[in-house]
Amino acid sequence: MAMSYEEQILKEKKQLHMSVFAQCISPDGKYLLAGNNYGTIAVFSMRNALASDANENSRKPIFTFKAFDGAIFALLSTENFLICGGSGDIKAWKWKDIQQKAPRVAWSLSVPHSANFGAVETNGLAYSRQDNTLYSGGGDSELHVWDLESGTCKHSYTDHTDYIHAVALFNTSAQVASGSEDGTVRIWDTRTSGEPVAILEPSKHEECINNPRDKWISCVAVDPADDWLICGGGPSLSLWHLRSLSPTTVFEAPKCQPHVVLYHDDAVISAGTSPNIYHWHVNGDSKLTTPCTAMDVYSVVINTESEANKVLCSSGASSKIDVYTNFGYKAFSLDFC
Amino acid sequence: MATSESRFDFEASRGKYLISLDESRKKQSVSCLKKCADSLEGSDAEKKTALDQAYRNYVKKLVVGGSSCSDFTSLVHLSTEAVEAGLCSPATPFLLLTDIFDSVTISVCKDVFQFVEDRVATWKQSDFYSSGKNYLLRMCNDLLRRLSKSQDMVFCGRIQLFLARFFPLDEKSGLNLMSNFHLDNVTSYNRTKLEGPLRTRVPQAIDKQDSMDYEEGEMGSATPVDYKLYRQFWALQDFFRAPLQCYTKEKWKDFSNNAIAVLEAFHSMKLEDVASGKKKKKRRSHHRQQQKQGEEEEADSGDQVSFAKYLTSEKLFDLQLSDAMFRRYVYVQFLILFQYLNQQVKFKQAHHVLTDEMSLFIKETKDKVVALLKETPPYGDQFTAGIEHILSREEHWNAWKNEGCPSYVKEKGKTEQARPKSRARKRTLGEELNLAGAAKKIDLGSPELTKLWNVYPSNLEACAAEDRIFLPQVEEFFQDAIDQADPEAMIEPEYKVVNNSNYAWQAIRLLAKRSPHFFQTVTATNPPLKTVPGYLEYMVTKIAKELPQNEESKPEELKTEEETTENDELLKGPEEGMDKSPSAAVTEEQFTLVASKIGDSWQTLAVELGFSDDEVTAILSETSDIKEQTKLMLQQWQDKEGAEPSRETLIAGLMESGLDDIVESVFMEKQKKVELVFEEKQKRVVENGEGIVAESEPMEMDS
Repeated sequence: MAMSYEEQILKEKKQLHMSVFAQCISPDGKYLLAGNNYGTIAVFSMRNALASDANENSRKPIFTFKAFDGAIFALLSTENFLICGGSGDIKAWKWKDIQQKAPRVAWSLSVPHSANFGAVETNGLAYSRQDNTLYSGGGDSELHVWDLESGTCKHSYTDHTDYIHAVALFNTSAQVASGSEDGTVRIWDTRTSGEPVAILEPSKHEECINNPRDKWISCVAVDPADDWLICGGGPSLSLWHLRSLSPTTVFEAPKCQPHVVLYHDDAVISAGTSPNIYHWHVNGDSKLTTPCTAMDVYSVVINTESEANKVLCSSGASSKIDVYTNFGYKAFSLDFC
Repeated sequence: MATSESRFDFEASRGKYLISLDESRKKQSVSCLKKCADSLEGSDAEKKTALDQAYRNYVKKLVVGGSSCSDFTSLVHLSTEAVEAGLCSPATPFLLLTDIFDSVTISVCKDVFQFVEDRVATWKQSDFYSSGKNYLLRMCNDLLRRLSKSQDMVFCGRIQLFLARFFPLDEKSGLNLMSNFHLDNVTSYNRTKLEGPLRTRVPQAIDKQDSMDYEEGEMGSATPVDYKLYRQFWALQDFFRAPLQCYTKEKWKDFSNNAIAVLEAFHSMKLEDVASGKKKKKRRSHHRQQQKQGEEEEADSGDQVSFAKYLTSEKLFDLQLSDAMFRRYVYVQFLILFQYLNQQVKFKQAHHVLTDEMSLFIKETKDKVVALLKETPPYGDQFTAGIEHILSREEHWNAWKNEGCPSYVKEKGKTEQARPKSRARKRTLGEELNLAGAAKKIDLGSPELTKLWNVYPSNLEACAAEDRIFLPQVEEFFQDAIDQADPEAMIEPEYKVVNNSNYAWQAIRLLAKRSPHFFQTVTATNPPLKTVPGYLEYMVTKIAKELPQNEESKPEELKTEEETTENDELLKGPEEGMDKSPSAAVTEEQFTLVASKIGDSWQTLAVELGFSDDEVTAILSETSDIKEQTKLMLQQWQDKEGAEPSRETLIAGLMESGLDDIVESVFMEKQKKVELVFEEKQKRVVENGEGIVAESEPMEMDS
């Protein structure tokens, strides 16, 4: 189907201004899904991209579909569903449908919102498999707890005074952490619906502060043993001991306010407002700094589902999604188009 | 001489030596061998041969007995001591080593080679070196051929290093003179798109139900591979193998693209410095610092592994990228290649020139590589400094090769050695003999030859010795014929010896040599005799006539001899010179005369008389007056020559320096008569063009 000239230009413009905020890996580890600021989700085949005879075409999405009118901020994969958070409702698609290249919205959750502000966006999603519960945080400053069995909101934690950036579930204990624009990380006991168990305020610790006005916390990660928590944003990325609730280590990445942080093996990987992916030792020493395409990195995922496709993918303010086979250097880029 | 008294029994001596070898080995000293050698009869050389053989037999015994390394080394050590004591030939230790290396397992070889390495100073001593270098080289090459290139890397390296230490710096035997590349060293890797684990699994994948799954292959536990970089990376090896490819345009494009991609990957993927990580920790915990440092160094030095060849499986690629040593190899390869491309190499062809663009790229990339190499742990800085040092030395080697590998040793002593050498070359053996005549001892190089020669040092005397006169006296020879010629004997003509053709032939030859009548008769008899027997008969009667004056025949004999020699003055000259005035003294008067006439040319004479440059300069510094200098020189020469400075040497020196006029004026003033003869002879010499005679001429004039 031939595109008109105008359409062509528009497409190129869109491509130029594209940001990919969210990525996730399918449960079988074969596909990478990425959602951009135009509300489009692209499906990439990892196998094609990594094949020995890969070329430009195999690094383009197998297909794309429109998920939202606005931007997509969070993608999450569960065993059967792809859950997507953006402006408005939280939507889910069945993996099976996606594999058939015939995506249909399986269900959606409508985030309660006040009449004044229109649709509320969802920035962070977390899924607990044990009790089939979804946690979502976003523009209404509330952390909602959804029972996916019934599709209802069980309750909401409302302590945050500003919108929520990130949600991280603990691995063993029934707790969830949320980082917010108000400069706090609040840890909640998922069994109760009341006050937070603990509040971390990196902006009140001298060693973390970069600029006193930049308080927001945009990323949170909890270590596999639930002893440590990493958070950062306006303040530097810092490692907190959860029992003493004090910061022990600061990861100093100059000129980079982190957008994303995650644990991988015994290392910490972070990225943010610089075209680099940082690999850290937990003691705060830099292990690797690898350059990437996007000037701002919004999402880093590692395909842990399939050993054969075990790669690190990073996306950000660019239509290119960088793929790192060996985590040390950028092997190639996937093209979101 | 002792040799003639008793014959040397090789087998017995060898047996005795074997027994004393056993003893010596126990005591670790050669004193037993010495005693044994003293007890044996025979020449030194014969004894040596026996001991050499005994050593080799002993090694055979050890090898068969499966002895350990220390047994071998102690034996070789003993043999070196024996060489130093002059008991066996210098080649023996090397023969022993060769035998050992030929017959023991590689693991034992390694230990024994340790010994060889430790004793490199011994092997370099001039005795051992001259006789053993070829043995050692052959031994090492044999060993290298035996070793596996991939298994015994370290041992191979040790051998190479040993050879480098052993041979002089400018030894060319192991040199790649033409700067050829090792083009056979092809690094193969997975180039084809169809190979590899991915494709082979595809058929299974097709069975899958899912509509999209047909694209997928199950890859088991394989990790993802960045095939693009993989290919780019290994493609580089081909350029390192054959650098001349870089000069073609397309290949250069490939090369630069690949290099950029690989270096980018390396740059991005900084390697973690385990050691420095530890150090940082240490800074935090100051206690135990020292203890830790020790441990760390141990750990660092411990696990150095080297590979002969790259393993190029794509499965390993990921691990290789995070291997610091591997990276170092590649960086160093880059540096070597760039060094080559930039260098002036004699064997490059005219079209092998870098464009500006290429030079720029090389410069930038080289800087990048050096920076990366510095970053690569552990001890990146030191390592880089080392590599840069080695590469800068390589430039010297290259320059050396461009100049055609001049010897380093020669340069040093060129001025000193050049002259005496060329002088020595001019001398023929005859001259050598003449010069050495005074000393009565001639060194022919090998002791055995010298011994033989000095049985009769003078060649001419030896020829004149009585036992070398094979010609019978005329009278003796013809005795039979004379008896038969006597009519009283009543012998039939056909039985006369003169009719025997053999006898006749010998007789005529003898007559030609010995009898004054030979030529006279042929022409004088009238009528001329037609048959040989007839002629002989005539001669026999002639000789028989002379017989009665038996006593007089001898003087006559002498006379004839004199006659012949007189005919040939040339022959007579040297003989008489040798006899009568081998070392006639030079008078003080003559010295002064020579000194006054010689003038500036005294330095030439000094060289001819065997003065070294140092001595000449010493004389020069003594006084500025030329006459004084000459006198001084002659005095020194006199002292050197001893009590009787031989005139002939001086004259020979003068002639050699082209100062014939002085010779004439100084040594011949009083002998004007002889001078005439001399000139005549000179003419004849020129006609004959015989150098030896010319040199011996002056000797005769003195007589």
